[in-house]
Amino acid sequence: MPQLVPPDVAFLPLLPILLVLAGALLSTLLGFWVGRRTLTVINIAAVVLSGASMMFLWNGGLTSFGGGLQADNAAILLGLTVLVGTLMTLLVSLDTAWRERVSFPEFDAMLMYAVTGCLLIVFSGDLVVMLIGLEIMSLAGYVLATLQGSRRAEESGLKYFLLGAVGSAILIYGIAFVYGATGSLNYAAIAAKVGSVSNLTPDNVGILVGGSLLLLAGFGFKIALVPFHQWTPDVYSGAPTTTFLFLSTVVKVAAFAGMLRVFGGALTDAPGWASTLQILTAATLIIGNTAALFQTNFKRLLAYSAVAHTGFLAMCLLGTPALGGAALGYYLLVYTLMTGAALAVVAALQRTEAGFEINDMRGLYYRHPGYAIALSVCLASLAGLPPFAGFFGKYLAFQAAFQNGYVWLSVLAAVTSVAALVYYLRPAMLMFMPDRTPAREYAHGQRFPTTFTVALGVAGVTVLGILPNVWYGWVANPAIWQLLAGR
Amino acid sequence: MFDPKWLPTLMIFLPLLGSLLIFVTPNRWRDEMAGFMAAVTLGLGLMIWYAGGSGLLSLNWIPALGITYSVELSGVSLALAMVTAFMSFIAVLYAARRIPNPGTMLALILAMETGLLGIFAARDLILFYVFFEDALLPSLLMLAIYGKAHRMRALVKFAAYTLFGSLLMLVSIIGVRYLGGSPTFALVDLKQNLVTGPAQTWLYLGFLTAMAVKLPLWPLHAWLPDFHEQNHDSGIPDVMGTLYKVGGYGLFTFAIPLFPDASLELRPILMGLAAFTALYSAWIAFGQQDWKRLLAYAGLSHMGFVALGVFSLNETAVIGAMYLLAFQNLYTGALFLSVGMVQERIGSLDTRVGGLMTGAGALGGLTMALWFASIAVPGFAGFIGEFSVLLGAYQVSPWLAFVAGLTTIAAAAYALTAFQTTFWQARPLGGVVVRDLVHTEWLILGLPLVVAIFFGVYSAPALNLMQPAVKSVLAALGGN
Repeated sequence: MPQLVPPDVAFLPLLPILLVLAGALLSTLLGFWVGRRTLTVINIAAVVLSGASMMFLWNGGLTSFGGGLQADNAAILLGLTVLVGTLMTLLVSLDTAWRERVSFPEFDAMLMYAVTGCLLIVFSGDLVVMLIGLEIMSLAGYVLATLQGSRRAEESGLKYFLLGAVGSAILIYGIAFVYGATGSLNYAAIAAKVGSVSNLTPDNVGILVGGSLLLLAGFGFKIALVPFHQWTPDVYSGAPTTTFLFLSTVVKVAAFAGMLRVFGGALTDAPGWASTLQILTAATLIIGNTAALFQTNFKRLLAYSAVAHTGFLAMCLLGTPALGGAALGYYLLVYTLMTGAALAVVAALQRTEAGFEINDMRGLYYRHPGYAIALSVCLASLAGLPPFAGFFGKYLAFQAAFQNGYVWLSVLAAVTSVAALVYYLRPAMLMFMPDRTPAREYAHGQRFPTTFTVALGVAGVTVLGILPNVWYGWVANPAIWQLLAGR
Repeated sequence: MFDPKWLPTLMIFLPLLGSLLIFVTPNRWRDEMAGFMAAVTLGLGLMIWYAGGSGLLSLNWIPALGITYSVELSGVSLALAMVTAFMSFIAVLYAARRIPNPGTMLALILAMETGLLGIFAARDLILFYVFFEDALLPSLLMLAIYGKAHRMRALVKFAAYTLFGSLLMLVSIIGVRYLGGSPTFALVDLKQNLVTGPAQTWLYLGFLTAMAVKLPLWPLHAWLPDFHEQNHDSGIPDVMGTLYKVGGYGLFTFAIPLFPDASLELRPILMGLAAFTALYSAWIAFGQQDWKRLLAYAGLSHMGFVALGVFSLNETAVIGAMYLLAFQNLYTGALFLSVGMVQERIGSLDTRVGGLMTGAGALGGLTMALWFASIAVPGFAGFIGEFSVLLGAYQVSPWLAFVAGLTTIAAAAYALTAFQTTFWQARPLGGVVVRDLVHTEWLILGLPLVVAIFFGVYSAPALNLMQPAVKSVLAALGGN
């Protein structure tokens, strides 16, 4: 008679996720009795508590579910980045949700469910936990994109759902292949198998390569890697701006964290995926940056800029786990701060959900000096101009790829960055040009929570740019990223 | 006693502090505030000069990445920093009088001064890059806020060219450290871990692109005339733009020590390009009918000389190039301001107005003297620079020196023609009464002229400052 083994469930490493989940459940239940703004405040508290619990778990290296979920330092650093993005989204939604006509409790509930999924990916120790997290995140994301009752939002949500579902299907197929090749779903076990190719029969190598390529394609949908990026501009610019903020920062951070776990940890030594990824990265850099060059709408421009940044972020994945992980850890936080703050300004000042045209930004400095300066700081940082943190993010990405032998990719990234600089600088400069025509912004958008979010982002990119060590000192330790797959 | 090693840091960041303080200073004190900050910065420069240069200050900035905060002002960099501080002071002086409500402009001038001083003081490649880009932001904002109708095109062109170069430089910087295996990006460490072989040539080309855009060197110069033409009429942004031509300095301080073999290998091609740039732009300048475009091409021609000197890797020529680089800023900057004064009086930048001399004799006289300095008439600082460059380049490549030498004739032609058609000739019928120089305008044109004459007649102090630095840099080439 086989002995019944109780599952290994430790609640302490789950604490950050459970706190966020509690926020989601409370939003679902209390939504019948309490106003949305109260729920948002509760959720902000949940997010802050979750962050505090992560700090508490620092250096603990705890695991749960027999290694299926791990609260190692990598998870905590990326998890904190996820929470920063969430906090920015919640703060902005306090001001703009009613204007975006998404001011009901379901918005908060879905948001927090999505964050729960994101954190599951970040903390994942095997492919199934990762997949569960990804699905929770994606499903909540589809709803978020559709929540606003407009044709544009419905279209964008449907597009997101259809393509996202295809992506998930491909991903699951890839997981099956990897399981078939290695006989395990656990990152550490896969890494051990893959690390010594002698364990694999020649047939299995083919399956492994197929599996890792399918995984790459699946993740490619989530992070908007060319050619899996087609949904991005439509979904991002069609969704309410707060949702755009959330999808382009938090969801992307989580998807990159998943990729880092899978490709930086489990499949590091697997053949094939890196050479494919470098080509996809090159395509992303070229297409993302050139397409953004031709946008006339600022919100769409930011959507394409998100695609272009996927290219820079993906360069980190091509570095060695020690260097690339550190680079990605730094870049993702900076990316969240600058994109979040830029979109917060858009959310505050736009008249309609279409955002504003770039030409309408002329003279913004003379109407909203604070927001204009903040927005230009964000744009300079996105463009990678020192002393703002975007520069070091880009630098680290270049370095990670260069030192791992992808010299031509670094040069290509440098060349495409010129296009990036042009499309970021044009609106930034237009804002400072004198203008006599009447204002085209929403006049009452400047409110405290949004201003606080913008200030947070701007202060973040400035401080992290002048003193990168404040954050890089934490993420630079290579030991963190060599244990991505767990032990 | 205060350690002089900290003086450059103070000098670099004092203007930035001033530029931030301007926004909290009441409107009526802003001019005085900016002027005071610029003057103190210049004073600090004089202090460093008096102390014979500062030592090297090196702190760990980002230890995890091997990036240091290394700054030093001595030799060539000190000379250039002082000229920068001086011209920034002049620009502040003029902006305060000329521009209504000048707060923003003054803040931008001071912010840019910080970037420029940082470029000259940096002894770490990443730090150099950071300041290199930082000087760009205020200059873009000046163009955006104060520029003319077609500024957007000029702005995009300027930004795209500049950043294209600097991003390739960034990749080169990463390569220099990684392939050479240096522990940090500090120049001292990099020099001990040189990259060798073909990799050095490739990295040099990446570095060169950035510097050639900034110099600027043909064919990467196309942004320059538009940049100057579209800038504010007063000429203040142009002064700062002139100071931004740091390509020659970057090549001298970083490229020669880090890529000695590649610089020798590419020497003939680069010298050829430089000589061509000098002559070609002088020729183009001859055809210009807009003062600013003319000055832009004249500056380009001077920069061709600077490049010729640096690329020739000959001691005399390099000293001449650095001398020219430093003092060219004085008289070209002052000429931009004089053009601004002309525009203020007659509302036009055209070179064929005529008859200005009848009303504004002093303006005409000072402008003419500045033009003499610009076309390297003996007795002015420019002459020493250009002559040394030609003397040195002749020893390396007589024919190219001859080609570049033709430029001096072309320079006299374009400068004197334009001057003649603007200031002499007949006064146009119904022309307005032109006011002569008033108040600080005397200082604004006079001070740079005095300095240019002083160093043209008595060059020893500047040469003594530069010679050891040039010698030590060229020693990297193995006693060429």
